[in-house]
Amino acid sequence: MELTNIHYVAAIGFALAFVFGAVVNKTNFCTMGAVSDWVNMGLKGRFGAWLLAMGVAVGGAQLLELSGQIDLTESIYRTTTLGLGGLIIGGLMFGVGMTLSGGCGQRTLVRVGSGNLKSLVVFIILGLTAYMTLRGIIGVARIELIEPLSLDLAEQGIEDQGLASTILPWLNIEVTDGLRWAFAGVVSIVLIGIAFSIEELRSNFDNWFSGIVVGAVVVGAWVITGIFGYDDFDPVPLEGLSFVAPTGNSISYLMTYTGSTISFAIAVVFGVIAGSFVYSVISRTFRIETFSQRGDMINHMIGGALMGIGGVLSLGCTIGQGVTGISTLALGSIIATISIMLGCAITMRVQYHRLDERGVLSSLFGGIADIVIPWRKMA
Amino acid sequence: MSDATDVTKELDTTGLNCPMPIIRAKKALKELQPGDILRVTATDPGSVKDFEAFAKQTGNELLDSLTEGDTFIYRLKKG
Repeated sequence: MELTNIHYVAAIGFALAFVFGAVVNKTNFCTMGAVSDWVNMGLKGRFGAWLLAMGVAVGGAQLLELSGQIDLTESIYRTTTLGLGGLIIGGLMFGVGMTLSGGCGQRTLVRVGSGNLKSLVVFIILGLTAYMTLRGIIGVARIELIEPLSLDLAEQGIEDQGLASTILPWLNIEVTDGLRWAFAGVVSIVLIGIAFSIEELRSNFDNWFSGIVVGAVVVGAWVITGIFGYDDFDPVPLEGLSFVAPTGNSISYLMTYTGSTISFAIAVVFGVIAGSFVYSVISRTFRIETFSQRGDMINHMIGGALMGIGGVLSLGCTIGQGVTGISTLALGSIIATISIMLGCAITMRVQYHRLDERGVLSSLFGGIADIVIPWRKMA
Repeated sequence: MSDATDVTKELDTTGLNCPMPIIRAKKALKELQPGDILRVTATDPGSVKDFEAFAKQTGNELLDSLTEGDTFIYRLKKG
């Protein structure tokens, strides 16, 4: 086999993702856990780690873009199409799904690596439903029902959905490079500042370390696909770290190996699993976990499907949109990430109310009210 | 030691992942009186750190955190 640009890009992507998988396993970085800690215990340390990852990724990605190294408008996040319906509906679905299946896309991969067969079931269902939503039968519904719920920003003379490009024209201010630098700097510093204002982040090595590493790995992904992999004759798509569509593509790649070519994103999926596996063996935490309850298995399967479908509709997961997308300062990524957080937090409160043997609707309204009414005292 | 005679209520969360063990423990504690003891069994490895943090944050004392084979056992005293 002749090695080409994409093979080198994939190999470095695998190595980067290997580090990500090992660090996430070691530090317990988990976006669902971040919401759970906050909603269920009032602890913000892991949420701070997520904000820190965003802040580091914004700083790095914007520095690369504004210094002319990469053009983030080439990524899927900063196009002129703002798919509001998909971002909100898909984000909410993903948030519900990650709570039902015990973790988001990256967490699923990390757990597969450490021997969790429950997560292997989620991995397969997530991958299949993601692929069905991208190119299969669910894709028909996506095109017919969800895509019409999009805004074409180009029609309003907006050149991309970056924060500066959307907010400044609305305020009748001309978009200049100086203002772009200002936006990038302020967002990055505010996110990092909020993260470090949280005592549980500062006092916990795992929290601040994981936040910095996850953010840096996303920046590394932009460097690999945008600078190292830049080749006029053998181009690779500009992409960061993302886990939903790539999980579907990974399964497809394994099934059609002899006729397929590796990509950066597929290599990342395998790298995260491998990194987590090696760390769990070295730390002697590798152990086979299986389903022991019918209800738990049903929850995981529904959760996997909601993440697969929702993750494609929202163009990404808690890392794909919640760190990578945010690093491009795309308006859509902010909308998707907030939708995911809301879906996740509301599901936790619904599960709490369900323990009272309240009906589904009563629990649902109670859960929504708990999260969206800030002054409501939660039980 | 997890002395069963001290325990006011037993909660079995085996087979469940984060966040369910914490959500169920929170619910169970709500129905107990201060000083009562809740014994929780779990199989989620992540529950070890979760229950340490939960006890510290909520003022319920974690009396002990034991591992027996693949099962984690916690005794929480309601504060």
